[in-house]
Formats: sequence, structure tokens, C-alpha cells
Amino acid sequence: MNRSLLTNPYLLVAPGFLLAAFIILWPLVQLGQISLSDVNRFGQIRGFAGLENFVAVLTDPLFLGALGRTAVWTFGIVAGTILISIPVALVLNEDFHGRGLARIIVMLPWAVSLTMTAIVWRWALNGESGMLNSALRGLGLIDQNIQWLAQAATAFPVQIAIGILVSIPFTVTIFLGGLSSIADDLYEAARLEGASGWQMFAGITLPLIKPFINIAVVMNTINVFNSFPIIWVTTQGGPANSTDILVTHLYKLGFSFGKLDEASALSLMMFALLLFFTILYVRLAMRGDRA
Amino acid sequence: MKFSRKARRTVVCWLVLSPLVVAVLFPFAVMFVTAIKPQAEMLRPTWWPSEVRLANFVTMWDATNFGTALVNSLYVGVLSTLLSLAVSIPAAYAMSRLRFRGRGFVQQFLLVSQMLSPIVLVIGLFRLVVALGLLDNVNSVVAIYAAFNIAFSVWMLQSYFSTIPRDLEEAAWIEGASPAQALLRVFLPLALPAMVVTAIFSFINAWNEFVIALTMLRRQESYTLPIQVFSLVAGRYTVEWHHVMAAAFVATIPVAVVFAWLQRYLVRGLALGAVK
Repeated sequence: MNRSLLTNPYLLVAPGFLLAAFIILWPLVQLGQISLSDVNRFGQIRGFAGLENFVAVLTDPLFLGALGRTAVWTFGIVAGTILISIPVALVLNEDFHGRGLARIIVMLPWAVSLTMTAIVWRWALNGESGMLNSALRGLGLIDQNIQWLAQAATAFPVQIAIGILVSIPFTVTIFLGGLSSIADDLYEAARLEGASGWQMFAGITLPLIKPFINIAVVMNTINVFNSFPIIWVTTQGGPANSTDILVTHLYKLGFSFGKLDEASALSLMMFALLLFFTILYVRLAMRGDRA
Repeated sequence: MKFSRKARRTVVCWLVLSPLVVAVLFPFAVMFVTAIKPQAEMLRPTWWPSEVRLANFVTMWDATNFGTALVNSLYVGVLSTLLSLAVSIPAAYAMSRLRFRGRGFVQQFLLVSQMLSPIVLVIGLFRLVVALGLLDNVNSVVAIYAAFNIAFSVWMLQSYFSTIPRDLEEAAWIEGASPAQALLRVFLPLALPAMVVTAIFSFINAWNEFVIALTMLRRQESYTLPIQVFSLVAGRYTVEWHHVMAAAFVATIPVAVVFAWLQRYLVRGLALGAVK
């Protein structure tokens, strides 16, 4: 090992950069090529198609349904997650007996794969033999079994609820980091001035964790938008595509319907949307830097 | 007086958290109770089975082909973690210690690659894997997991590396150590905990991944655990739920315990990264 090897940043960065670039850029180039071509279900390119694939995707009623549901899905989970995570983080930031245990419980869903979580819920939500119905009946909240996953009217809200549950740990983590950066003297000073708990929250806590909320919103938006296993495992987008979001629609388009060309076009459009979110994130993060 | 205030706060805090605690623990309870129920009681949704049937875990092992999937998951988890660490550690070192042209570009590239989930690229990745002749080969999954993990690993490592004072290495140089010696003797031991934590999170990510494995692994011999357990549920008329839940339990609990033990490091790492 000589000095130049250890201090040459390009040599140090190159392996990681090249591996990531190869696995991300090559498929991206492929997607670009296929999306402009007419491709059969075995992936053979039969000719140039121009923007036909994009038009086909955009005029597909299944796409429009999935697009609308993706908006509901993303907004519902992100808003629900943020609204629940703020009080949870505030509580976990307090000093109380069993806080370590409480933190572990709140973080648990993060440790379990979404696939396993979704499989367990699929069983718990079973109409006849599911524990959720039996628990709710035991509590007297319902008197008839609900077929949770058999219709979109109950399946989709339940899927959103599961999505919120598994997004809380990450979000609380970010907020706890934010709360720990607030100096205690600020609260001391406010208390001396006679500020109420709510005034301290609205006047000190909220403004100071705002950058962390922004980051949590953008990162959750990206994660939730991309989230595949919950819906795929519980309903596979069914019944009759009524719980499909863009990622499950994309997967069906490519791997069930064999329309690789249209699926590639959809991928690129989703990529553009994600890039937009990312740029938003960078701008928010940079603003945090300057502050 | 002080104690009673803390006691009161404890009650209020747990009360506020209780709905979430119930919602979090509910699936774990369902998983556990189903896993130990006798098969005959499967369709009766009671919380208290007539007996605890631990033999379910034994019959599950063969019935679900658990061993093969476990080996595949371990292989993929360990190898993809080692690969991503091997390329991320030097990169993170360069990003945190050296100033160079193009640093901003690398940072932005990593950010974009973190934002991109494999699902958006899955058609292109599938074609890449087919073109390389690696379909149904767990090594293809290893490479993809490693590549998608680089951004996270560099981010975590970099934020820890920046907390190790530069003076320590410079002091070693003054004492006559070469940069390589300073790196090996001074920097690496201090950075080791960060590397271990990052490695464990990379491993957990690989352990839990779904869509790439679902797409690239087509035969049962190459299934990882999530795909294996999913295959016992998907598209079947009769599902042996006690086996499925026992398998999910065994595949989940060890990782969950390690994660619960390490989550405070993640809190610190993410917080450091977030304010950078």
C-alpha cells in the first residue's frame, strides 16, 4: 500500500460508484430502449414504436385507476404516519419508566420484512378464521365477520393502515434525532416566561423540527410510492385490480401480461416522478444545511 | 414528590402509546398463537389453543423446505453485505476525509440511487440478469442487493467517519507512522463499530427483500425465505397456516431481536446523516 492509493479519492470511490452505476444505469438504458420499441412477450424487439407505448399506458383505464389509488395510498400513509409519529416521538423523548421497552416496541415493525408482516396480516384478516374478526367480536365492536380483503372498500383502507404501521418506526427515528438537537435551555426559558405546554410545542418544538418533518415527508413519500409487498401479498392488487397501485400495475404489466414495452414506458414515467421527489428532497436538505 | 411526578408521567406516556403498542404487537401475537396451535384448531380463531404444539416447528422445517431457503437467505445476506461494505468503506472514507472535484456529483448520484427503488427498474434489471445468464442464480440477487445498498452504507459510514477526529491520524503521522499504518492502527479500530452496525443493517435489508428475489429466483431451490414463505400462501386453495406462521416466526424473530438491540445506533447514524 502506498500513499497515493490511500489518498487518491477517485480510486477509493471508483469501485462503489462503478458497481452502483452499472446496476442502475444499464437497466435504465434498457428501459429507455424498450419503451420506444415494439417488443413481444419474450423480450425480442420487433421495431421502433415511437411514443406508442407511452400513449398506450396513459390511456389504459387500469393505469388511471392505479394512478388515483397511488395518490390516495401515498398521501394517506404519509399524512397518517406523520400525524401519529409526532406525538409518539414526543412521548418517547420524555423520561419515563420503561422507555427503553417502549422504544423497542415502536421500532419492531421496521425489523420485520414487509413480506412477513403482510403474510401475517393476510391470515389475521381472514374472513372466517382471522383473529382480527374474532378480536373485534370479542370486544363487541362488530357482530358479523367482515371479509376484509374480499372487497376494495375494506381492503384498501386496511392496506393503508398496515402501511402507516410499518412507516412509523423510521419516521419516529428521524423525529427523535430532531428532538435531541433542541437545547433544553429553550424550554427552561419559555417556562420562566410562563409558556404553556402547547405554546412551547407550537413556538419551539414544531419550528425546530420542521426540517426533520420535511425530510420525513419526502423520504416517506418515496418509500411509500415504491412499496410493493403489502399490496402484492395481501390481495395481489385484486379483487379485479381494485387495489392496484402503480408499482403492482407495473409488475403485472411486465410479468403477468407480458407487455414489457408498456411496462418500460411506465417505469420511466415513475422514474421521472421519483426524480422530482428527489430534487425536492435535495432542495429541502440544502435549506436545512444553510440554516 | 419527584418520584410521583415521574410515575404519573409514566402512566400518561404508556396510555398515549397504548393504541400503537396494541397494533404493533397484534400481528406478533397472531403469528405466535397460530404457530403453536394444533392443525385441527386452525380454523377456529381462538387465542387459547387446547395445547401448545411445539412440534409444528419441526414438521414445518421439512414441509416448507425451510432449510434450503434459510441457506439461500444466509448466503445472499452475507455475501451482499460483504460486497457492499468492501466498496462502501473506501468510498465513505474518501467522502468524509478528502476534498476532491466531483465529490458533489458522487454524493448526488448516491442520493438518486437511494431514492430509486429496485421496483422501478425491475424490468431493466430482469433483462440485465437474463443477458448475463444469471436468472435463477442467487448471485444475481447478491450483486443487485449490494449495488442498491451502497448509498445507504456510504451515508451511514460517512456520518460516523466524520465524527472520528482527524488529529488522531495526524498525530500518528508525526510519530512516524506511514499513512497506511495510521489508517490501519488508528482509524480502522475506531471505525469498526460503525462498520459492524452498517453491516448488520445491510444484512437485514437483504434478508427482508422481496421484489427482486420474486423476479429473479424462479425455482424453489433458489428461493430466499420471504419468497419461500410467500410461495406457501400465494395462489393456493389450502394454506397450512400453522406451518406458514411457524416459518415466518423463525425467519423473523432472530433478526427482530438483533434489530431491537441495535436500533439506537441507527437513530444516531440517521440523525447524524440527516443534519449533515
